[in-house]
Amino acid sequence: MTSIPEFSRRPLELADDFAPGEINFMKVEDFSFFYGKKQALHGINLTIPSRKVTAFIGPSGCGKSTLLRNFNRMNELIPCIRHEGDISIHGTSIYDPSVEVIALRRRIGMVFQKSNPFPMSIYENIVYPLRIAGERNRAVLDEAVERCLRSAALWEEVKDRLHESAIGLSGGQMQRLCIARAIASRPEILLMDEPCSALDPIATAKVEELIIELKKEFTILIVTHNMHQASRVSDLTAFFYLGSLVEFDKTQKIFTNPAKQQTEDYITGRFG
Amino acid sequence: MSHPSKISGNFFTQDGKGTSPFRLIRNSLLTGLCISLSMLALLPLFSIVMLVVKKGMPLMSPALFTELPPPPGLEEGGFANAIIGTVIMVGIALVLAIPLGILAAIHITEYEPSSLLSKAVRFVAKLLNGIPSIICGVFAFAAIVMTMRSFSAFAGGIALSILILPTILLTAEQALLDVPNAYREASLGLGATPFQTIFRIVLPDALPTIMTGVMLAVARAAGETAPVLFTALFSANWIHSIMEPTASLSVLIYNFAALPFDYQVKMAWSASLILVTLVTVTNVLAQLFFSPKHR
Amino acid sequence: MHTEPSRPHTLTNFTVSLDHLRGSVLMMSSLTQRNLNNSLKGLMERDDDWCNNSIADDEEIDMLEMQIDKEGIDVMSRFQPVASDLREVISSIKIGANIERVADQAVNIARRARKINEHPEVPELHLLDELVKMAVSMFDDAVRAFAERNAHLAVELKARDKELDRLNRELTDKMVQRMQDDSVNLPTYLNLIFVSRCLERIGDHAANMAEDVVFAVRAEDIRHHAK
Repeated sequence: MTSIPEFSRRPLELADDFAPGEINFMKVEDFSFFYGKKQALHGINLTIPSRKVTAFIGPSGCGKSTLLRNFNRMNELIPCIRHEGDISIHGTSIYDPSVEVIALRRRIGMVFQKSNPFPMSIYENIVYPLRIAGERNRAVLDEAVERCLRSAALWEEVKDRLHESAIGLSGGQMQRLCIARAIASRPEILLMDEPCSALDPIATAKVEELIIELKKEFTILIVTHNMHQASRVSDLTAFFYLGSLVEFDKTQKIFTNPAKQQTEDYITGRFG
Repeated sequence: MSHPSKISGNFFTQDGKGTSPFRLIRNSLLTGLCISLSMLALLPLFSIVMLVVKKGMPLMSPALFTELPPPPGLEEGGFANAIIGTVIMVGIALVLAIPLGILAAIHITEYEPSSLLSKAVRFVAKLLNGIPSIICGVFAFAAIVMTMRSFSAFAGGIALSILILPTILLTAEQALLDVPNAYREASLGLGATPFQTIFRIVLPDALPTIMTGVMLAVARAAGETAPVLFTALFSANWIHSIMEPTASLSVLIYNFAALPFDYQVKMAWSASLILVTLVTVTNVLAQLFFSPKHR
Repeated sequence: MHTEPSRPHTLTNFTVSLDHLRGSVLMMSSLTQRNLNNSLKGLMERDDDWCNNSIADDEEIDMLEMQIDKEGIDVMSRFQPVASDLREVISSIKIGANIERVADQAVNIARRARKINEHPEVPELHLLDELVKMAVSMFDDAVRAFAERNAHLAVELKARDKELDRLNRELTDKMVQRMQDDSVNLPTYLNLIFVSRCLERIGDHAANMAEDVVFAVRAEDIRHHAK
């Protein structure tokens, strides 16, 4: 189980037309992760290109969310954790002593499974990342609100009630608000942890459309339980099982002709 | 008939028996019992308020709020100094206990929820919460009155703050625990420091609930007699400094109610009414002021 | 390389529907095999009854083709199959269409056979023997490849199709020759050319089915490669 699948060691062969961005943007090298004594990830090797949507799929408890939460070191909020190996972004290790967690998290936006707007106005929600970074200029804040809401395809729906409570929005709007908030500090990377699992199909479609739109600017990693969602929105798909990376390839390849029997069994719904 | 059905007769009755009348009767009996018991619980509360209003109203006059207590036997004056004294002592208690209680609650919920210190704080707070108020008074008497060689409003405030600290701490802890973790995650995920997360997100969200605890504490502190009796004693004069014996409504009630003069007893009733009103008004104001804005 | 998916789906209905679709394709292919054999019997034994049977039974096969399309669409809309399941559904629908064309060729052969049977027998009829054997075995093997998910057998079929094409050309040339020498039996020779052409088409359809089997099993598209 701990053996590392050999193919994942070589960089993915991406055709030129497929990779306008940086191919080795994010690198996960021999990464293992432990909750106390329990090993959650086993020697993961992964190279993620920039400005692409990369989906992590796999059954519950396979480690996909754990890996996602390591990119912005959110796992460090949990006591008794430990990692081996390294994750680097644009050539710099996220564990480098010169890297501040706070700065790291400002560069990497995160959207959670359950939409979690703060109990404040829509406006205050979006400017929160800027306020905590010390921004006070009203014009800058106003500009950020409009920019982020437009990017999140929410501007037209809420522009007349920016100062009303965010809690009054619909589930889909709240999730898009969270996406808008996540991009307010102009991060490079967006981590999404099952962003649509609590949404109805129409709200899901809107968020998916948004994801595809956002990949022009952001490198997006998305964890999803919905394989069809992965096949719809992602360019690359990584399949995890029992804490190991089983297969990582172009989404189209994974969903038409996966190389591993385990992947095949999972995506076709044959997991016993 | 397209297919044979297992159900014969009414779909909602099994075996054609239906709901037994006994069950219906028992149902309404229990409902009636619940209603009458809650009325019964309301009865003593309601009668206390009625009694206080009835007995306290006759003597109500502006003089009560402006004049000093009369010497025994005289039928004039008021208890302005006691009202001021109570407000001052409760104020001292709150100024001491609110920051201490909330900061301690923040420490034991946000920073080190499972450390030994936090466990100890939680344990002591629960222990202190059940402690008789007279012990707080005795403690403040020994610790402050004895060392300073004087009864004082300051000592009274300390005694009351010890009394209300656990209430504030425990309600604040519960209020903080009730803040959804999703808010903390969201804030930290956006690159906020733990400090920013607590003071911009967590605490504002917990504030209404914390204020409920504070109001409970105010009500309790304003009404306590024993700790004040041991520490602030009483004074028939205006207050000049918090380091001297000070009058309070509760002690005034205690003193005057025991006097053989009818007028003083009536004044004790009026003081009770004013105490109840004072606490109620603060409570309502606090709720208006701190009610959650975004829900 | 994939073998047959080892486990059933968690969703039993999914497996049942896929199995049913597969069953329909197999049912259709065995009916077509029977029709083809009936047509060829009618031709070789000069018996119109066999031909009529074959023509009459074609309707049933047309119905089955529509049923396969319906079942395939049903599986796709209800279960959104991916990977091997998706390939299986798509290739089943395509194979169904090919089988239907084979059945149509069987009908054509039966019609030509009835015309040939109106005229006196010519010895050249047995020049077809080789072609018949080859076309029938190709179709049988294509069906077998599908039934057994045998990509190996399927790949081999493509090569055999070339041989069948060659036999067809040779026979056509011979018939054209005979038509010049023996104008009395010209209609029969002409009809034999048509039958030969039908057999050659059956070989093509079998090769197409083989391609679909390879796609279903190995996810490889081997069309338009080795030509």
